[in-house]
Amino acid sequence: MSSREDILGRVRAALHRNAGNAAVAREVMMAALANRTPGPQPAVACEPQALLERFRVKSEQASSTVEVVATDAEVPAAIAKYLAAMKLPTTAVVWASLVALDWAAAGLKVEARGARDADLVGITGCFCAVAETGTLMMTSSPDTPAAVSLLPETHIAVVRAARIVPYMEDAWNLARAALGSLPRAVNFISGPSRTGDIEQTIVLGAHGPYRVHLVIVED
Amino acid sequence: MANKRVGLFVTCLVDLMRPRIGFAALKLLEGAGCEVIVPDTQTCCGQPAWNSGDKGGAEALAKKAIAEFEGFDYIVVPSGSCGDHIRTEYQGMFADEPSWRDRATAMAARTYELTDFLATVLKVDSVPGDYEGTVTYHDSCSGLRSMGIKQQPRALLAKMKGVELKEMNGCEECCGFGGTFSVKFGEVSAAIAERKCDFIHASGAPTVVGGDLGCLLNIEGKLRRMGDDSTRVLHVAEVLAGDA
Amino acid sequence: MEIKSMRFKANAEASLANVVLQGNLKNAKGKFVTKRAEAIKEIDDFEGTRDAAAAIRNKVIDNLDLWLERFETRAQETGATVLWAKDGAEVCRLVTEIARKHGVTKVTKSKSMLSEEAGLNQALEAAGIQPVETDLGEYILQVDNNEPPSHIIAPAVHKSLDDVADLFHKVHGTPRKTEIPALTREAREVLRGHFLSAEMGLSGGNFLVAETGSVALVTNEGNGRMVTTMPKVHVVITGIEKVIPTLEDLSTLMRLLPRSATGQSISNYFSILTGVKKPEEHDGPEHLYFVLVDSGRADVVGGEFHEMLRCIRCGACMNHCPVYQTIGGHAYGWVYPGPMGSVLTPLYAGIENSIDLPHAATLCNQCGVVCPVKIPLPDLLRKLREKQTDAGLRPLTERIGLRVWAWVAQRPALYGLGARVGARYLKWLAGEDKSIRLLPTAPEWTRGRDFPAPQGKTFRELYAARQNSAKGSA
Repeated sequence: MSSREDILGRVRAALHRNAGNAAVAREVMMAALANRTPGPQPAVACEPQALLERFRVKSEQASSTVEVVATDAEVPAAIAKYLAAMKLPTTAVVWASLVALDWAAAGLKVEARGARDADLVGITGCFCAVAETGTLMMTSSPDTPAAVSLLPETHIAVVRAARIVPYMEDAWNLARAALGSLPRAVNFISGPSRTGDIEQTIVLGAHGPYRVHLVIVED
Repeated sequence: MANKRVGLFVTCLVDLMRPRIGFAALKLLEGAGCEVIVPDTQTCCGQPAWNSGDKGGAEALAKKAIAEFEGFDYIVVPSGSCGDHIRTEYQGMFADEPSWRDRATAMAARTYELTDFLATVLKVDSVPGDYEGTVTYHDSCSGLRSMGIKQQPRALLAKMKGVELKEMNGCEECCGFGGTFSVKFGEVSAAIAERKCDFIHASGAPTVVGGDLGCLLNIEGKLRRMGDDSTRVLHVAEVLAGDA
Repeated sequence: MEIKSMRFKANAEASLANVVLQGNLKNAKGKFVTKRAEAIKEIDDFEGTRDAAAAIRNKVIDNLDLWLERFETRAQETGATVLWAKDGAEVCRLVTEIARKHGVTKVTKSKSMLSEEAGLNQALEAAGIQPVETDLGEYILQVDNNEPPSHIIAPAVHKSLDDVADLFHKVHGTPRKTEIPALTREAREVLRGHFLSAEMGLSGGNFLVAETGSVALVTNEGNGRMVTTMPKVHVVITGIEKVIPTLEDLSTLMRLLPRSATGQSISNYFSILTGVKKPEEHDGPEHLYFVLVDSGRADVVGGEFHEMLRCIRCGACMNHCPVYQTIGGHAYGWVYPGPMGSVLTPLYAGIENSIDLPHAATLCNQCGVVCPVKIPLPDLLRKLREKQTDAGLRPLTERIGLRVWAWVAQRPALYGLGARVGARYLKWLAGEDKSIRLLPTAPEWTRGRDFPAPQGKTFRELYAARQNSAKGSA
């Protein structure tokens, strides 16, 4: 007997499984799978300005830095200013979806490709963002490689204000609507990587980025 | 509603170690207008057997206690731990004996920890005793987490003009007693008690008060071993009755 | 992992005598507790959320066979391979076979307690495959002679900064660093090379989502993302009980897991991984395997301990346990310490191999009130004690003692006599003192504390005397 059959067989025996109760239980299971009702959620104010404000506050609590710009066109300059202020390199790996912005005008050199170990700055967008916890939702695809938000020491994410949703459940509904099924990787990111494994002292920059900077575009 | 007939379950530990706590409970209940009966065949609620995995012994003692106490309007216990055992565990023991389960359930509904009974059921306006001084309060685990005993003893202490309550940090943390745990793992138990004693000392109060004699013996034993001969360790009934 | 739980008492006492460990434990204790208390305040309906989480877990566990089949089908549809392992030995065999098939020489691992259960690192090493632990805590332990973890989410919580500074100086051959950020950076640089060169990444799974056939991983360091993004093969090892229905359910559980574990509103990274990389993608594994592990879980289904299967491995029970706080995790002798470990170890590693564990608790129920999925841990510990007694596994003296005591307690006259003798004996022992330094009948009590002196007479005799004198005067 295969291990699969052995394990499932013992589970079935323990649950007194038979054809009759299996049919009933399967119906209950299908209903549970179809149920999209969220569980209890903490209150989150849903007006656009309140969402943006909560997202900003929660992101900052997670040790990200945040700035707000009015339009896409302002993004490269804002990022250039941030990099200069932080004395960081002006070369970056970027998601293909953002490569069309005028980076050169801001004095930045960007390449749209997968991330490499040597990349020090990674610039991404995000699928959407969750106000409840100050969280970015990243969905992987050829144009949005996962490692760009992981390998570089600095991760900069461009967030559209209109894509800030109250809850993670809203993010799932956006993903179901836009993508059908889930992509290979959905990564929720809340601030720079960290560890507390030595004396429970929080240190930023464990294996991923040391810093996360968010540029929110209001338009 | 005068002259409630109350059965006082003294507990085996009070019987053996601190009879004055039983008399203090008696005084408090009688002072509040209750008719108090102390069945003289009572021994132990059976919790040590239950918690040690001796189901047979625990069931026998539960039946004994039910038979002795089910006739009273209320059953009052000067211990959150024994009270919780009667109120919560008895019913679960008799899944296969419906008549005993029903009797256990009926008794559970009328069983109260002493301070809960005084504060919640009798709603007493005053207590007989007074006590001059600062005290800190140790919340015993079963009383606190299973019976919801938190504000009741504090509300009663607040009725005594001379008492000042100074809360310690970690008042809700276990003192390490744990019934038979204290004699199975004596060193671990005593090490946990030491933390509790540190909290008591840090509070600055010269007296610690609690509602469960098991915890109080553990705390007092640790204080004495630590060389502290002065901190008083009192049951809340003694303080409220003016017998401290 | 070898089980050493039979030595619990000796291990616990050694922990108490270890001054350095005691200092480290004291230092660690408050942080988890305080942070959790703050974090749960953000949840408006915390009790309702706990109820919802418990219901989600029950929904699956009550019909686990169907949910497992459903998960398996969905995972296969995404391109993953689903394998089943009855025990640790089979986990080791399957993972080694996968590694051989793909020509793997190095495996980077994010934390997996099931890998600890199975002793997977030793098996991989024996097969000539290098396992590299990448969670900082696990890495510290691996380079310290494969020391076992002492906490399920903070494996090296028993170690101090000094311990780690000495260790890294020794194993990395670098100048001794004394700052935590510098030590963390040193580990990052060592491990980055491994992340990029390993052919296979191995992770546990916090949840398996039946709706999508995905594994959900909760991490802070980013090592979980590394091992599931960089290597060409990703192997997930999880227990069969980890399935949950939907992404909505996942969101509910995520409101509780990080808060209960580290006191964070959400972990830094929360990854939901589904299937394999598409040819045109830049990163992600080409092969994804799930190893669904039984190792004792199937036999818990439908029985009196089935509530334990709800456990989401947050560690809140141990963080709040007075016994764990006092002795640390190693004393428990197996993979899982604290209250959840004292239930799981007897169930998964044998009740006869862990006689002390169900008794290693004061039943204070601090664990029960913090458990995010409302597992009645004290009740389960008590039931295990009952099973031990029924199976005759407790020491004979204890069994006879309990039996005799219960027999006497049913006989009020005899009990009364015994109590009167006992009260006088204890009073005599104490003499003029307020307390007894050595209790011959229970020496374990007086090892670490005194036993207060009794009043000398029992309540029942004093009460009877009072009643008599009242009658006499009436």
